[in-house]
Amino acid sequence: MQGFKLAFNYLRIGIMNEFQYRANLYIQILQTFIALATGLIGLNLVFNQVNELGGWGKADLLAVMGVFTITGGIIRSAIQPNMERLMDEIREGTLDYILTKPADAQLLASVREYRLWQNTDVIIGTIVLIVAMSQLGWRVDFWSSLGFTSTLVMGAIMVYCFWLVITSAAFWFVRVHEIANLFEGLYAAGRWPVDIYPNWLRYGLTFLVPVAFAVTVPASALTGRLSLQSWLGALALTAVLATITRVIWRLGLRNYSGASA
Amino acid sequence: MPSVISISKLAKHYQVPEREAGLKAAAKGLFKRTYKTVKAVDEISFDIQPGEVVGFLGPNGAGKTTTLKMLSGLLHPTSGGLSVLGYEPAKRNHDYLRQITLVMGNRNQLSWDLPALDSFDLQRAIYSIPTDEFKRTRDEFVELLELRDLVQKPVRNLSLGERMKMEFVGALLHKPKILFLDEPTLGLDVTMQKRIRSFVAEYNKRYGATVLLTSHYMADVEALCRRVIVIHHGRLLFDGDLAALVEKFSAFKTVGFTLDNPAADLSQYGDVVSIDGSRVMMRVPKEKTSAVTSRLLTELSVDDLTVEAAPIEDVIESVFAVRKEALE
Repeated sequence: MQGFKLAFNYLRIGIMNEFQYRANLYIQILQTFIALATGLIGLNLVFNQVNELGGWGKADLLAVMGVFTITGGIIRSAIQPNMERLMDEIREGTLDYILTKPADAQLLASVREYRLWQNTDVIIGTIVLIVAMSQLGWRVDFWSSLGFTSTLVMGAIMVYCFWLVITSAAFWFVRVHEIANLFEGLYAAGRWPVDIYPNWLRYGLTFLVPVAFAVTVPASALTGRLSLQSWLGALALTAVLATITRVIWRLGLRNYSGASA
Repeated sequence: MPSVISISKLAKHYQVPEREAGLKAAAKGLFKRTYKTVKAVDEISFDIQPGEVVGFLGPNGAGKTTTLKMLSGLLHPTSGGLSVLGYEPAKRNHDYLRQITLVMGNRNQLSWDLPALDSFDLQRAIYSIPTDEFKRTRDEFVELLELRDLVQKPVRNLSLGERMKMEFVGALLHKPKILFLDEPTLGLDVTMQKRIRSFVAEYNKRYGATVLLTSHYMADVEALCRRVIVIHHGRLLFDGDLAALVEKFSAFKTVGFTLDNPAADLSQYGDVVSIDGSRVMMRVPKEKTSAVTSRLLTELSVDDLTVEAAPIEDVIESVFAVRKEALE
């Protein structure tokens, strides 16, 4: 309960902080539209040549793009800023303040930053998704929307775990920004469903960097491609990843000595 | 009375990678690293009673911050016993953390772009302080530190001193029983240092809190602490009355003045420490200070005469020197 209260308080502070920087909103809107335009152009170029891609039609892929944009917005507003701050604090030894607080340190480290304006991506992504769904003739029932929402949440948790594990590496290796940059490059691959990639890349994007779970799986749920087995698999993987992440974080904390002596 | 802080043979050793300078050595370090053990804290022992304000002194790198970090649960000791309020700090028990606070002079935890009031609210949530109590404490501290007109300004628009005062309010809102203060007055001007000092003294008086303070400013220590603990190279060198320490080891005062005639012979007054243009700094035996200053004023035409206590580093250095001789 205290966890929710804390997260809410930090969210409030984060939003108030963002209101101080109005210019960021305009820049963000511009970025979102540029990304949308290049995405749509790419999609059209492909469908000028072929009628479907790995079993996905044009409207299906528009749905994938919508989910890709929504998830990207969630990652950049709530996950990435916290992890980047954490990385800096581990390296500079300034993690002290959260470690002397009577609250779970992992929770505190994960909710302190919030970039409100990145949510323009969430809004635009939702609009793209709605357009895609209407093109598909609204074949969405209760179960597929539940499947979509739950896999979207699981995907976000998996991406969070991935980030936190990479960030925790800073407890041992000090400089991990480069690995973190790698994520952005790999996440871009999520613009297309992972089924279209060769096997080795598909496995990589599923189990090493959970792009498949963050984008393809929720989109599959909406377009009627998700089986109960895959859903259960996603649930199990989420639980396993969350546990491993917790263990690595704790080991890292033990290793933390703070830069200044 | 049972002690609130009890340390026995506490030690913290670090493994530090070591290599020679140069590209070749750096390349070798990619494959094989050699480590050196640094004893940051080397078997120190002391006890602190409830309500005591203790100065924790030592030159840079003496192990003060490492000790404070072990006390506040940030670092796991390598060996030795450590108990604070009956807890083992490294376990970071929430009930323990709720009763302590750590203030570091060169760090801040308030949100930079927001008024301090918003950050205080966050502290309330973190420490689950009941709203009524929170408001009462906050207003009490804001009043004590004369911050009423500033709490609604974004923290980034405050001066260094004002910011530090806000840090103190934020760090004490949960009314901790133990305060670990690491250089809390670092970089502040004299007036601001005084304010912070009197606030700490007042907090100690009102709530009976125990304070362990490190500072490079002798004035902080003199104003607040009756007892000091001196460490150097991780070892305990002195634990006792501040008066005894100063009396015993600080035999000199620093006299500074501006001199019109740089050719004058100064050796008859004391040891010249430095001459910067016409500004002279001189070390004078403590008991001769008043005689020497009046002679300087009458015999030479000096201006801007100042008399200062010997720098704390000097006092500690003499403690160390004496101990070393005694050991040899």
